[in-house]
Amino acid sequence: MAAVDRKPVLDRLAALVAGPFLLGRRALNLDWAQAEGGPPKPPPAAPAPIAITPPPHAIKRRG
Amino acid sequence: MRADAANLPGDIPEGLIEPSLTVGKVTPGSLDDQVLAFPETRPPKQWYIGLAITLTALFTGLGFIGYTFFTGIGAWGNNSPVFWAFDIINFVFWVGIGHAGTLISAILFLFRKRWRNAIARFAEAMTIFAVMCAVIFPLIHVGRPWLAFWLFPYPNQRALWTNFRSPLLWDVFAVNTYFSVSLMFWYLGLIPDIASMRDRTTSRLRRTIYTVLALGWRGAASHWQHYEKAYLLLAGLATGLVLSVHSVVSFDFATSVVPGWHMTIFPPYFVAGAIFAGFAMVVMVLVVVRETMQLKNLITMRHLDVMNKVILAMSCIMGYSYMMEGFTAWYSMNEYLHHGFMNIITGTYGWAGWLTISCNILIPQILWFKKARASYFWMIFIAIGVTIGMWFERFVIIVISLHQDYLPSAWRVYRPTMTDFGILLGTFGLFFTLVLIFARVLPVIATTEVKAILPDAQPHHGDDHHA
Amino acid sequence: MKTRLPEHGPVETPRFWRTLDERIETPEAQRAAQDEFLPGAVPGPFDDVHGLPPQSGFSRRDFLGLVSATAALAATVACDRKGQGTVVPYTRRPVEIVPGVANYYASAFQEGRRVYPVLVKTREGRPIHITGNDEHPGVKGKTSPRAMADVLRLYDPDRLRAPKAEGRTVGWAEAESRLHGALVAAKAAGRPVLLISGAVASPTRKALLADLKAALPALEHLAFEPAAGDAAEEAAQASFGQSVDLQPRLAKAKVILSLGADFLNGEDPEALGAWGAKRRLKNAKDEINRLWVLEGPLTLTGTNADVRVPVSPSRLGAMAYALAKELAAKGVAVPAGTDLSSISAGVPAELGETSKLWSNLVKDLHRAGRNAVVLCGAQMPVEAHQAAHLLNAMLGSEAISGRAAEPLATVRDLDAAVQGMAAGRYAAAIFWDVNPAFAFPRASAWKEAVAKVPFRAWIGLMEDETAAQCQVLLPENHWLESWGDFTTGSAEVLQQPTIGTLYDTRHGEEVLLGVIRALGGHAPASYHAYLQGRWQKSLPLGTSFEQALHDGLVKIESKAALPAFRGASVAAAARRAAGSKAEGLELVLFPGFATHDGRHANNSWLQETPDPITKMTWDNPVSVSVQDAKALGIQEGDFVTLSLEGATLRLPAILQPGQAKGVLALALGYGRSTGGVAKGVGANAYPLMGLDPASANVRPGARLAKAGGKKDLSRTQSHHRMEGRDIVRSLTMDEFAHNPQGHHHKPELVSLYEDQTFPDHKWGMVIDLAACVGCSACVVACQSENNVPVVGPEQVARGREMHWIRIDRYYEGELENPKVVHQPMLCQHCDSAPCENVCPVNATSHSPDGLNQMAYNRCVGTRYCGNNCPYKVRRFNFLEYTAYKTEPETLVNNPEVTVRPRGVMEKCSFCVQRINDVKIRAKGEARAILDGEITTACMAGCPSDAIVFGDLKDPKSKVAQLVAASRAYRVLEELGAKPAITYLADLKNPPPNGASSEGGPHAS
Repeated sequence: MAAVDRKPVLDRLAALVAGPFLLGRRALNLDWAQAEGGPPKPPPAAPAPIAITPPPHAIKRRG
Repeated sequence: MRADAANLPGDIPEGLIEPSLTVGKVTPGSLDDQVLAFPETRPPKQWYIGLAITLTALFTGLGFIGYTFFTGIGAWGNNSPVFWAFDIINFVFWVGIGHAGTLISAILFLFRKRWRNAIARFAEAMTIFAVMCAVIFPLIHVGRPWLAFWLFPYPNQRALWTNFRSPLLWDVFAVNTYFSVSLMFWYLGLIPDIASMRDRTTSRLRRTIYTVLALGWRGAASHWQHYEKAYLLLAGLATGLVLSVHSVVSFDFATSVVPGWHMTIFPPYFVAGAIFAGFAMVVMVLVVVRETMQLKNLITMRHLDVMNKVILAMSCIMGYSYMMEGFTAWYSMNEYLHHGFMNIITGTYGWAGWLTISCNILIPQILWFKKARASYFWMIFIAIGVTIGMWFERFVIIVISLHQDYLPSAWRVYRPTMTDFGILLGTFGLFFTLVLIFARVLPVIATTEVKAILPDAQPHHGDDHHA
Repeated sequence: MKTRLPEHGPVETPRFWRTLDERIETPEAQRAAQDEFLPGAVPGPFDDVHGLPPQSGFSRRDFLGLVSATAALAATVACDRKGQGTVVPYTRRPVEIVPGVANYYASAFQEGRRVYPVLVKTREGRPIHITGNDEHPGVKGKTSPRAMADVLRLYDPDRLRAPKAEGRTVGWAEAESRLHGALVAAKAAGRPVLLISGAVASPTRKALLADLKAALPALEHLAFEPAAGDAAEEAAQASFGQSVDLQPRLAKAKVILSLGADFLNGEDPEALGAWGAKRRLKNAKDEINRLWVLEGPLTLTGTNADVRVPVSPSRLGAMAYALAKELAAKGVAVPAGTDLSSISAGVPAELGETSKLWSNLVKDLHRAGRNAVVLCGAQMPVEAHQAAHLLNAMLGSEAISGRAAEPLATVRDLDAAVQGMAAGRYAAAIFWDVNPAFAFPRASAWKEAVAKVPFRAWIGLMEDETAAQCQVLLPENHWLESWGDFTTGSAEVLQQPTIGTLYDTRHGEEVLLGVIRALGGHAPASYHAYLQGRWQKSLPLGTSFEQALHDGLVKIESKAALPAFRGASVAAAARRAAGSKAEGLELVLFPGFATHDGRHANNSWLQETPDPITKMTWDNPVSVSVQDAKALGIQEGDFVTLSLEGATLRLPAILQPGQAKGVLALALGYGRSTGGVAKGVGANAYPLMGLDPASANVRPGARLAKAGGKKDLSRTQSHHRMEGRDIVRSLTMDEFAHNPQGHHHKPELVSLYEDQTFPDHKWGMVIDLAACVGCSACVVACQSENNVPVVGPEQVARGREMHWIRIDRYYEGELENPKVVHQPMLCQHCDSAPCENVCPVNATSHSPDGLNQMAYNRCVGTRYCGNNCPYKVRRFNFLEYTAYKTEPETLVNNPEVTVRPRGVMEKCSFCVQRINDVKIRAKGEARAILDGEITTACMAGCPSDAIVFGDLKDPKSKVAQLVAASRAYRVLEELGAKPAITYLADLKNPPPNGASSEGGPHAS
């Protein structure tokens, strides 16, 4: 017996619409204000590992 | 009839009259003034100099511990086969030093030995500080100290228990129990004194602090009743600990297979050694305390005399233990044990073996002479010797036994590093810093207990009232 | 928990909340969080329980959030995992590589004249472990310790990765154009070109050099191997008229006489296999051989001798010729033209009192006849070699074979080259896989002479002393990246790459092919094509090249008989021998166990593997005999000055029991001046070598004096006596027959506890000490398989080496000529392990199949287990021994075995990864595990098959049968630890009438 009669459908619709605003636009990647200036840059590349290539023309004994 | 034959009415033969435990006239009032007012006075310059020295030592130790965390146990001298060296030597050393306090506090309380009352609190404080120094080592000696908490059996989602069959785990429980019981016991005894200080002090800050620490003590009869019961219970618990804690520490060695460690004499031998080393440290500290804090009337030469006798008795027990080790080594016809024993007196570290024997057995025999027991020089000389000797005894047990055990191909020499010495120095720094602070901040003598043994304290039945 | 936000960083490096701002976010969100239940509502006063007013502006939710964030922050900081990287699966998988499945390639490794057919295990395309090629009928799956360790050199960070010219990195085009230009000009001018390479053991390389010579007629080629022993080469030329590659065939030998020959030191897996087979006796009645050793320094072969006599190496020739004379007197035919007149008959002076020994030796040789063999150490003087050849010829020994070999350059040839260079003879010099700037005894003369050659090129693996003197440096492939072929006694062996080249390197052969083309000849561009072309022409019918590569070899029927012995060569050599005198101090220079001739000095695995005799690592102290040390007042580790003809070294000395009086021994190959690992390790002994090949490595007239100071020796064993303890048992054949357990009784073990039951398998091991020679191949194999770290010399000196298996070496009896025993010691996997009980965190436990397990991630490092292990086989990571490692060094790690961090205990696991591998395979194939299917790394590496691993619960398994042998025992059995490793007592076969090795004759 709430003070106001509940209308579940309306509540859910409201949650659907208002959700992004309530939970935080940044959480849902909807922060159009772009306060942070875009996605972060990727970390600097690690030194390239030494390339391991299979031996050409070699025949292996077993796998 | 002498005024201080306070317990029994009627004539008492001279020989049964206990010598006085205080010097001069001591009343409850004068006692309070002497002891409780002390923390409110300003420390002299020497105290600050002393504190500066101990803090320097402490921070040196902390620095070396930090270095060890950063680099690894390789910063020490440990190797294969000497996997334990200064780390466990220091641990056993400090745990051992704590035992004097508990013996004085608890066992002598149960035996109703009145001479313990004046020195019990300081000794118990030293126990707590010694155990604090000791507890550092299990935490820092592990290869991965950030995981040292795995030594505690806490609920976890990996369904992992600790190994209760391991003596190291028994250590965890024993030392923790020892620390917590000693702390509670000591604190309980402090409560009436802190309450007195709360009632005497004029400083607002101090009164707030003492109010909190006194836990609402009002000296009511019911309070005293609870106090006495709790004190008795804790004394009983702590009594067991005197014998059990160092026995459990000795199990680290006695339950292993290392020749020279695996001997049933270890638990009583260690306990005796602990009491021995602890009393030496207490004697050293109390000599300084009674001189610098003008407590000569409360911590009398009689106290020192009795403590020196305990040291002498323990030294004899240690002598017996060493002889039994030698006898066992011969009688066992076990060549590993035989080699281990001969190694102590003729091996690479034979000098440490002889140092131990001299400091622990030969030199303390001087205490047979009453004059030596009354002489500051001899007391301190012997006490320092015992401290060094007991440290080296652990060195002998640990390093000498480990460095040459079953397979000669694994025999290696152990050499400590500066980090090892630095950390040892740091623990002495920690210990004496805490002692210095304690001496200035809390009442070092349990006034309530001493009041109970003053001549006026005991009920006289139909006695003359001349003093 | 909130959704991951972009500013939390990329997925690969997960961070949690770095600042509370990130957690608490914007004020709007905070407000929105408060409005969770009903939009616009304000939190009511919840805190009325204690009568305290609610704290404004700070809801309970926020408080909890802060607390949890702080806790999580603290926890995260503590949980920072070092070295986290990214694991990315292949998007395009190379055809050959299946992650998690190992590939094996057959190949071959050459060291000097020796060829080692190997099998290379690769994981994810990287070679990680080398064993012998099991298809090769000679080595039968075994190889040498240095061959196994060479996989590390593939990943040596000091490898030259691109050509250099005058110190700058250049491309191949430029470097080769410089080379071609110089050689074309030299050819046009008709001036000689000097090429110094290593030994030519490859027929295709030999053909290539022939093609090169055809294209460049003025080419002068020297094959230089400083460790091959110049005297051996001289002796071969004298005795056979040609260079010979000798191979003992010990399967046929009943009596072996070694003149300083260290044939059991691990370099010859075939010999060790035959030796093991002959010594692993089941019954005392089985046939066993007898090894006589006459030598100066104590060698590994000497420690395994049945009779050993310390003698000066300069006298070996005389003694051997005296033997020949005795045999001739007994009627053994001498080759035509043999003149032994300069040799006096009778017992040599050195063996004065013990003439029984002499007569026994003569009798043994005489009786064995064809089944006797005399072997001479490569570094021994030329007359000793020639005497050995004579004796073998006289006896008609079937236990030795030899093939014609490409001649090797001696120091004399090199000296001539030096003089030629100094005189400006050569227009160009090319150094291919050699380091004469380091190994030639007169380094400064070399340097000056080389500088006079206008163009110098170097082809090699990593820049060394020789490269420093050359203008153009051409980096060569490691053999694991190379094609090649070799001839061994029983097969033609192929070398194929096991990995594509890591860097911009090429085959040395391809450089020369390029030269041939530049000089106008015909040559294919790739060495692979060149080799395949030659092979396809000569393959036997029915064998394809692919099949040959698969097997790694093609078996041949080789009739490798020794060339005819020239009796006329004896007279001169015998005169030389008769005139030899052992006076003063004689210095023997031998190739170091770890470094060989110095080429391996940059291999940290080898530097840290202890020398089997001295147990020294990372150093080459001079070995002094016990008698000389006493006379000179030298103690272990004292610094001494060692001088010989103007060259002086200051280095530490060690006392060597068993070394002949008057003999000093010093290992070659140390004292390098290039290489991150090698630099500054030990002292360079090459300057002390002589320029006369007849005795370049045995030099009389050395002087030794104390220099003051003492070095902290990096030695893995500092105590060498068994102290009367029952640790290593050694039986004579007589004792074996009548009383194999001696006076030892099996102890009666009483336990309060129930024995653990092992339902399925119980893994156990048997180590036959009669077969173990102490070569330390097991140590290197284990290090390779289990990622055992290297700790460096200072840590070894402190006692912190990390080897999971070690070889304990004990001396018994008099130190002047002791009995020596070796015992591999590894985790015994005790059923009642003292280490398991005492670990407070349960990091070590016993598995249901009998293994003592070590959980690295649970270990906190209290080290109680190390104390409680009576065998001291546990190893603690005192420091972060692997932290500094990056690529390429980390590429050698075996991915099946954890790399342990600092603070953690480790030890032998019985190669549990291999056990599980086989278990999984057997389970998948729904069959039982076959005996011998699981091989631990040490077992697979042991060339004499001394180590056997298997299931003790299987009564038919080899281990179960060996455990019941009459000479079986366990070490420290009386402690009740119930070790799973059983040892079989060592066997010695001295002549029955007294002359034995222990307490044998020696000069006092």
